[in-house]
Amino acid sequence: MGIISVKNLKKYYRVHQKEPGFWASIKSFFNRTYYNVKAVDGVSFKIEEGELVGFIGPNGAGKTTTLKVLSGLLYPTSGEIEVLGFEPFKRQSAFQKQFSLIMGQKNQLWWDLPPMESFILNKEIYEVPDEKFKKVVRELSKILQVDDILKVQVRKLSLGQRMKCELIASLLHSPKILFLDEPTIGLDVVAQKNMRDFIKKYNQKFRATIILTSHYMADVRELCKRVIIIDEGRILYDGLLENIVQQFSTHKLIKVDFIKFVDRVKLEAVGQIERFDGLHADIHVPINEVAKRSSKLLTKFPVSDLTIEDPSIEDIIRTIFARGM
Amino acid sequence: MSKYWTIFKISWENSLVYRLNFILWRIRSVLQLLLIYFIWWSVFQGRDDVFGYTQKTILTYIMIAALMRAIILSSRASDLANQINDGSIVNFLVKPLSFIKFYFIRDIADKLLNIAFVIFEISLLIFLLKPQIIIQANLNILLLTILAAIAGIIIYFCISFIVSLLAFWVESSWAFIFMMTIILEGFGGGLFPIDILPNPIFKILMLTPFPYLIYFPSKLYLGTMMGNELLFGFSVLFFWVIILWFLIKWVLDMGLKSYTAVGY
Repeated sequence: MGIISVKNLKKYYRVHQKEPGFWASIKSFFNRTYYNVKAVDGVSFKIEEGELVGFIGPNGAGKTTTLKVLSGLLYPTSGEIEVLGFEPFKRQSAFQKQFSLIMGQKNQLWWDLPPMESFILNKEIYEVPDEKFKKVVRELSKILQVDDILKVQVRKLSLGQRMKCELIASLLHSPKILFLDEPTIGLDVVAQKNMRDFIKKYNQKFRATIILTSHYMADVRELCKRVIIIDEGRILYDGLLENIVQQFSTHKLIKVDFIKFVDRVKLEAVGQIERFDGLHADIHVPINEVAKRSSKLLTKFPVSDLTIEDPSIEDIIRTIFARGM
Repeated sequence: MSKYWTIFKISWENSLVYRLNFILWRIRSVLQLLLIYFIWWSVFQGRDDVFGYTQKTILTYIMIAALMRAIILSSRASDLANQINDGSIVNFLVKPLSFIKFYFIRDIADKLLNIAFVIFEISLLIFLLKPQIIIQANLNILLLTILAAIAGIIIYFCISFIVSLLAFWVESSWAFIFMMTIILEGFGGGLFPIDILPNPIFKILMLTPFPYLIYFPSKLYLGTMMGNELLFGFSVLFFWVIILWFLIKWVLDMGLKSYTAVGY
């Protein structure tokens, strides 16, 4: 029995369609054509307590829709959904007090007031006791290094500082489940790293269950053991991130250095050349031929150094999306 | 309870952040009052009686109507519509918080702030212009006026909330909000007492909720409403309070059901 269980979730939208142009606007005013968008189309998965799972998929794949259904914001078109033993759409307080939804692009902090005011409001809404509130704010603002800006108007903060404060506001009630939708969007490299480190720490320290969506593979690679890959509303892969590499990589990359210049045409017999400058080469080789081809390289060419690498996760994910499954 | 008290406080703080903005808003309301005041003042030059009103009663009406406008109108309706449109409403929907109560409290907080200022402004105008006005001393009439104003607050809140909720179905609800403001100002009695309209129109209007926002409580204060008229007014008023109170919950439920937050 997982902490989150989703069976055959479907969520369809009706969207109205309009040709470009002025006349088309007038026409669509009187006569609208609609079509159905299958945002999520038969998705099932289970998540256990304390897991940190990454949702990966291109824009419009259905990641955010799934998170919204899980947090009770959207009615599912069909399917059985259970989170912490609740049906999310009933939006019972007992359920809402146990999770948080953090969206990188939707702010909950009051724009014209310092973050502390929003924290106090959340404290009251979630009925967090005084002592605990003070402790959590102290701890989190120290880890995130924002203790000096809690009394500055939100509109004057940088995006990175604001996201950190958004996080604190969402964690005051110590949620058991965190839904993070693009938590690092728009942040610079350093801020992204800080955010990732924090999420990791939070997951380990409080055994919080976390679902994270992100466009940045770095987020997923550093944080998530398990990933769910979604495209066009369907799950393409659900399992360990490390297994994707084994399961989906058809080629390996041989990186080779030579003692003296070699002939490109001769080298092409070994495999598909990705990069070549006479003394160095990157060669794509089918996975079951790796041993044979590399020994051929070693015997027939003046090799000084040779390494065999797995393709990057980015490459694999790209191929998965490109060819489907 | 402290949940809602905090909402109250944070709303005040938020309104007071931009002092200039707030002051300009108050100046606008003073100018509006002055404008209406002088229009009526000039109408009465050389006449004692217009549409059955004396100069004294109409100027009193204008002052009380300004007070009622501050008490009853002033609203956060467009905030809600914006939040629905840009999707930030999700931040409220995931929290253990009554949506209607949240906005009602914010409205009340806004009102109290406005009332404090409008009382000061009206006192200043009365001091400077020294018009003859009616000071109502009958306690029963004052109590009825307060009762009607409270009911008016609820009616206005429900109407504006429902209109804002239309943002769930239409992408640009500002047109509805704009239309609502015009209707409420005109038919609500903020500019003139609506009983100066032709009788059939007046009778029909009195069946709608609009005159109960400004006209009804202001007219009550004048103390000229009697027996049946009073009974009829309060009956219609409470009828609308009950209807709108159910309607607001129904529309909110429907809206949330059809809600498809932007982006997926």
